[in-house]
Amino acid sequence: MLNSKLGLWAILVELGAWAGPALLDGNSETALASYLVTHAVASVLLALFTLPVLAAEQTRPRLPMIGLMAVCSYVVPVVGFMGVLIGTLVLRFYRASHHEDDFKSLQLPEFDLHQRMQSGFRQTGLRAVLSNSEVPTPSRMRAMVALQHISGRISSPLLRNVLNDASEDLRLLAYGMLDSLERNISRAIDKELDILQKARETEGQDALGPVGIQAAEKLSALYWELVYQNLAQGDMRDHAIRESLRYCEMVLAQQPHMAQHTMRRGVLLHACGRLPEAAEAYALAEQQGLPATRVLPYLAELSFEQRDFDKTRQLMQQLDEWSALPKLRPVIDYWSAR
Amino acid sequence: MSQHPKAEQADIALLLEGTFPYVSGGVSSWINQIIRAFPEYTYAIIFLGSQSRDYPKFKYELPANVVHFEQHFLYDHLSANDLPRAREGDPATFRILRDIIETLRQGTADTASALEMLRAVTHEMRPGGKFPLDDFLYSEQSWELICDTYRSYCTDPSFVDYFWTVRIMFQPLWTLARVAHNMPAVRVLHSASTGYAGYLGALLHDARGVPLVLSEHGIYTKERQIDLLKSEWIRDNRNIFQRDPTELSYFRQMWIRLFEWLGRYCYAAANPIIALYETNRLRQVHDGADPARTFNIPNGIQLSRFSPMRAKRPAQVPPVLCLIGRVVPIKDVKTFIRAMRRVVNQVPDAEGWIAGPTDEDQAYAQECQNLVRSLGLENHVKFLGFQKVEDLMPRIGLVVLSSISEALPLVILEGYAAGVPTISTDVGSCRQLIEGLSEEDRALGPSGSVVGIADPQALADAAIALLADPEAWQRASTAAIARVERYYTDTMMFESYRQVYRKALQGSASATATETH
Repeated sequence: MLNSKLGLWAILVELGAWAGPALLDGNSETALASYLVTHAVASVLLALFTLPVLAAEQTRPRLPMIGLMAVCSYVVPVVGFMGVLIGTLVLRFYRASHHEDDFKSLQLPEFDLHQRMQSGFRQTGLRAVLSNSEVPTPSRMRAMVALQHISGRISSPLLRNVLNDASEDLRLLAYGMLDSLERNISRAIDKELDILQKARETEGQDALGPVGIQAAEKLSALYWELVYQNLAQGDMRDHAIRESLRYCEMVLAQQPHMAQHTMRRGVLLHACGRLPEAAEAYALAEQQGLPATRVLPYLAELSFEQRDFDKTRQLMQQLDEWSALPKLRPVIDYWSAR
Repeated sequence: MSQHPKAEQADIALLLEGTFPYVSGGVSSWINQIIRAFPEYTYAIIFLGSQSRDYPKFKYELPANVVHFEQHFLYDHLSANDLPRAREGDPATFRILRDIIETLRQGTADTASALEMLRAVTHEMRPGGKFPLDDFLYSEQSWELICDTYRSYCTDPSFVDYFWTVRIMFQPLWTLARVAHNMPAVRVLHSASTGYAGYLGALLHDARGVPLVLSEHGIYTKERQIDLLKSEWIRDNRNIFQRDPTELSYFRQMWIRLFEWLGRYCYAAANPIIALYETNRLRQVHDGADPARTFNIPNGIQLSRFSPMRAKRPAQVPPVLCLIGRVVPIKDVKTFIRAMRRVVNQVPDAEGWIAGPTDEDQAYAQECQNLVRSLGLENHVKFLGFQKVEDLMPRIGLVVLSSISEALPLVILEGYAAGVPTISTDVGSCRQLIEGLSEEDRALGPSGSVVGIADPQALADAAIALLADPEAWQRASTAAIARVERYYTDTMMFESYRQVYRKALQGSASATATETH
C-alpha cells in the first residue's frame, strides 16, 4: 500500500538537504556533512515510498531492492531522485503488460504423446480377451477396467460371465464393478421410496399428488433400469419387473393419457408374459400419439412370440416404410424378404 | 487416558493391522485363539489402524499373557502444528532415491537388488537417520524430486493431486520407522498380514535381526488391489483425449505398486511364510515369497465347545438359513438377501438370519436393510446383531456364506462341529471345506454345496435342495461332523504353531548368541 506520508517526508527532507548548506555556512564541512546525511535519509525514504508501487514479484529480494533505489537516488543528486521515481513507474506499467503477454492460457494438446506413452491395449475384442483364460491376467484386468466406460446394458453380461472365472482377482473386480452399477440404482430407489412415503403422508394415501407421482414415475424407471441393464436375474428380475409395473400403473391411474407411460406399461406386461394386455397397451400408446417407429418393433416382437408370423411380416413391412431405425435394418430386410 | 498394559520386553510381538482387538471376525478370533493357546509365552501387540475414530473400542478382552499393547494410527496426524522451516535435504539420500525410482521404472534390477536399495533408504528413515520426515515433506531436494518425477513419469495432468498423493502415500512409512525404533525388546515377530504390519515386521527384522513369522489369512496385496481398482476416492484427471480406457489412472497404479512393494519387502524378511490353504500359498509365491519358506497351516476349532449342540437340535430341520458374519461388503450380504427372495417364493415359511455386528460399515448395513424392504422380505429376513454361535446353531438349518472373498472361514467349521451343513460361494478354501481336499477327505461326501459368487438364484436353489430333502441334509451333516473332527481341530493347528514358535525362538536365541560373541 502506498504511503503518501513517506513520499511527502522524502521530498521535504530532500528539500531540507538542499536548504541546509544555504542556511548554514555554504562552504563549511558541517554543511556538507548535513547535506550528505539528510540526502541519505531522503533517499531511503524515497526508496521505501516507491517500493509498494512495484509489483510484488519485482520487490524481491526486498532489502537489496530498497538499497538499490536508495543508492541510485543518493549518488546522483536530483536526477537520481527523479530517475528512481520515473523508473519505478515505468517498471510498474511496462513490465506488467509485458508479463501478461508472456503467459497465455493454452488448451492441452488433444493428442499428448507424453501422457499416452504407456498405452498398449486397445478397445478391440474386449469380449474375446475377457472370455479367453489363456490371455495373461494383467491384460484381462485392463480389459475389465475398459468396461467401466461402457454402458451397463453391454458390460453387465460380460462382467457376469467373469464372475465364474478361474482368476480370483478378475472375479472380485467383476463383482465390484457389477455391485457399483447395481448400488447406484438401488440407492436411487431407496431415495425415491422415502420421497414417496413422505408424499403419501402429506398428499394423502389414496391418490398420489404431484410429488408422489414424480416419485412413482422415477421408481418405475429405476426398477426398469435394473432389468434393462441386466443387473437383476431370475426372481430378482421378475420382482423388478413387477415393481416397475406397479409404480407405472400408479402413475397411469393419475395420468392415463401419458403415451410414454402407457408404452412402458406395455413393455413391462410384455416382459411379464401377459401378451394380450401388452398388445392393448402398445395399441393405446400409438393412439395416444407415440410414433409408429417406437411401437411397431415391440408389436412385431410380440406377434413373433405369439407365433403369428404373417402379422410379424406385415408389421415389419410397415416398419420398412420408415427410413429411420438403422439398428433394426438387418431384421427389417430379413422380414421384408430382400 | 489409555490403560493398556506396557512392558519393556515380551517373547512375541504380534503386528496387527485393522484387526484384533478392535474388529471382530475370522482373523481376530484366530488371533485370540492363538494368544490364549500359548500361555507360556508373553505377547506384545502392536496395533496399526488408519484413524483412531475408525476404532472406538475393543471387541475382545486382552488375554492375560498380553503384557504390552500399543496402537498407532497412520493417518491421524497429517498436518503440521508449526510453520515448517526451509531445509535443504541430504543430497546423497535423494541421489539414492532417484536411482531407486529410475531402477524401478526401467525394471533393470531384480527384486533382491531393488529391495537392497530400498533397505538402504528405510535405514535412513529411522529417527536420527539422514532422511527424516521433515526432509521428505519440506526440503528443496524433495520438492525437486517430486517436480522431476511428475514431469518425467506422471500421466495425470494434475500436479496438485500428484504432490498430495506422494505425501499421503509415503508419510506413514516414517511413523512405522518410529514405531520400530521405540518398540519393546521381543524375541520373535509375528505378523498377521503383509501391508503396513508386514512392513513394520520387516523393518524390525532388518534392524534387530529378530525372526519374522508371517501368517496370512487372506492375501493382503490382492485384497488391497481389488479395493483400489474399484475405489472412487482416487482421482483421474485425464481428459477424453488423454485417457486410454484400458489404462489405470496413474494414482491408482501408484497405490497398487506401493502395496506390492510393501508385500515383497515383508516376504523377503519373513520366514516362515504361512498360508491357510494351497491356493493362497501359491499366490504368496507368485507375489514374491520364497517357496522354500512357505507352507500351510489350516484353521482349527475347539470341538468340545460345539459338539454338545448336536443333541439340542430339533427332529425336523428348521427352515432357517443363517449368515454368520459382519455386515460388510466383502460378505456380500445383499446376495444372501436376494437369494432369500427366491427361497421364500419356494418355501414360504423359510427365514434368513443375519447374525453379526452392523456397526462396522453402517452405510452398507443400511443398504442391506433397504434391500430387505424393497424386496418385501421384512417378515422373513432378520438382522440379529452379534450372537453367540452356540445359541444359534441348534436353531438353524443351514450356515450360508455368500462372501466374495474368504480364506478358511471358522464359521463353516463351527457349523460342522454342531452338525450344520453349509452353502457357500466358491471362494478361498470353501470348496475344499465342503467337498474335501484329499481322496480320503472327498470320500466323506459333500458337507453342503458350493455356488458361484453373486449368484442369488444358485445360492437359493442349493439351499432349497438341502432343506427340502431331509435325507440329503442328514448325509451332509454326517460328512460335516466327520470332516471337522478329522482335519480341522484346534489341537492340530496349535501343535503346528507350537513348532513354528519353537523354531523361531531358537533362531532368535542363536542370533542373540552370535551378536554377543
